[in-house]
Amino acid sequence: MQSLGFAYAMSPILKKLYPDEEERAARLRVHMEYFNTQPYFASFVLGAAVKLEKERASGRNVLADISGLKATLAPSLGALGDSFFWGALKPLASILAVAMLMVGAWWAPILFLVFYNIIHVGFRAELLLFGYFSGGDVVSFMTRHNVTKNARLIKALALAGIGGFLGMAPLWLTDFSLLGRLSYLLQIVTVVLATWALVALLRKGVSPIKMMLGLTAACIALSYIGVV
Amino acid sequence: MFDSHIIFQVVLISLIGGIIGLDRTAAGQFMISQPIVAGPLTGWVLGDAHAGFVIGAVLELIWVLDMPIGTFVPADATIAAVSATALASLGGRAPAPLSVLGFCVLLSIGTAPLTMFADSLIRKRNARLAVFAVAGPGEDAITKLSRAHLSGLVMFFFKSFLLYLIILPTGLVALRLFGFLPEKIHSAMALFVKVLPVLGAALMLRKLSTAYLDRFLLIGLVIVALSEVSVKAPAYLYVLPAIVAGWIGVKFIEKRAS
Repeated sequence: MQSLGFAYAMSPILKKLYPDEEERAARLRVHMEYFNTQPYFASFVLGAAVKLEKERASGRNVLADISGLKATLAPSLGALGDSFFWGALKPLASILAVAMLMVGAWWAPILFLVFYNIIHVGFRAELLLFGYFSGGDVVSFMTRHNVTKNARLIKALALAGIGGFLGMAPLWLTDFSLLGRLSYLLQIVTVVLATWALVALLRKGVSPIKMMLGLTAACIALSYIGVV
Repeated sequence: MFDSHIIFQVVLISLIGGIIGLDRTAAGQFMISQPIVAGPLTGWVLGDAHAGFVIGAVLELIWVLDMPIGTFVPADATIAAVSATALASLGGRAPAPLSVLGFCVLLSIGTAPLTMFADSLIRKRNARLAVFAVAGPGEDAITKLSRAHLSGLVMFFFKSFLLYLIILPTGLVALRLFGFLPEKIHSAMALFVKVLPVLGAALMLRKLSTAYLDRFLLIGLVIVALSEVSVKAPAYLYVLPAIVAGWIGVKFIEKRAS
């Protein structure tokens, strides 16, 4: 899926390194081989591939197995990247922004973008440079950044953020709040219990879409009963 | 219902939505395609930012952990957020009432199977681009590659663009029919919007929860509840003590373990 994108990203350096069109075309075909990893972590592989192509073109490392390097790095970096960015950083940024938005901070989407992209773009740049200067030494990269441990830390912060989000229920704008008549503590308890009930249903295998349709039915029933 | 003004706005949102949708997987991934950004952006363009904020907030939590991992194709949360906001903004008065927002969110759920199908179709098509990217004799390899690669982007754009052109007019008809439904249904839809944040939190918890991490949920909840009763501050700041407490908790546990 990402093979064309990888080859496209490599094309400027290949144009520079291989003036001969046939050789350039052959190297491009190598980089069009199957490649799939987490998109941000692809920068590490890109940096390493650039370094090896430079060595190969200059004659210092003509046997460089760039295809093998890509095939080795892609799956492990993919798992790391999915866990860190999709599974930890994005949920943390989302819960912070939504928690603030629901109490009236309309600038929260901008905060979401700034917070996420400072980390994301910085990481991408560092991955590219680290990949280049290390030549694809993923062990050094793992030791230096401890991505797994940091992903777990950020997930913990995301969970704390969800707890904080639920704790802020009494402060939610009227667009989102329906427990305003209850006491402060009762509002929090009700929201937490409702969340727990939904989690229990999800753990039984009910899909999110079915859950939403079920909630729709429940809201209609409550409306007709006269509860709301 | 479909005067020139509405047609123009439908085409405009289809164009904007198509471009924003590229950020989802095809280009950049700077998260402007996330509901919490795409919703308010759409609402702002159409003159009802409030609709965008509400829809963006509720859909963000619901879809945030639906991840494009490996070959799995999740539902398109961008199309859901943009189309729901556009329908709410175009369907009547601004700001759109909560019942309309709820109905538009419900309609956007219906787009999930369609967007997943369309996404899978385009990905299968784009997977064949590698064949077209290989240069023949006398052809410039980089130019051939660039054309093939960028055509993939164009296909992703047109997929979203065409989906909006189908979803928006259909949704506007549905919204018009919604207007004829009893008041109880409208009240139910307003209630639906209010319970969605709780569902969003539950969905996040379901995917993030582990024996090690669950204690941080409690830490965040207790710290924020205590902060609210003991410290007077702008409401949006109360989530920060949860994060600080979570950080301290992790460091404490790590120190004890080492």
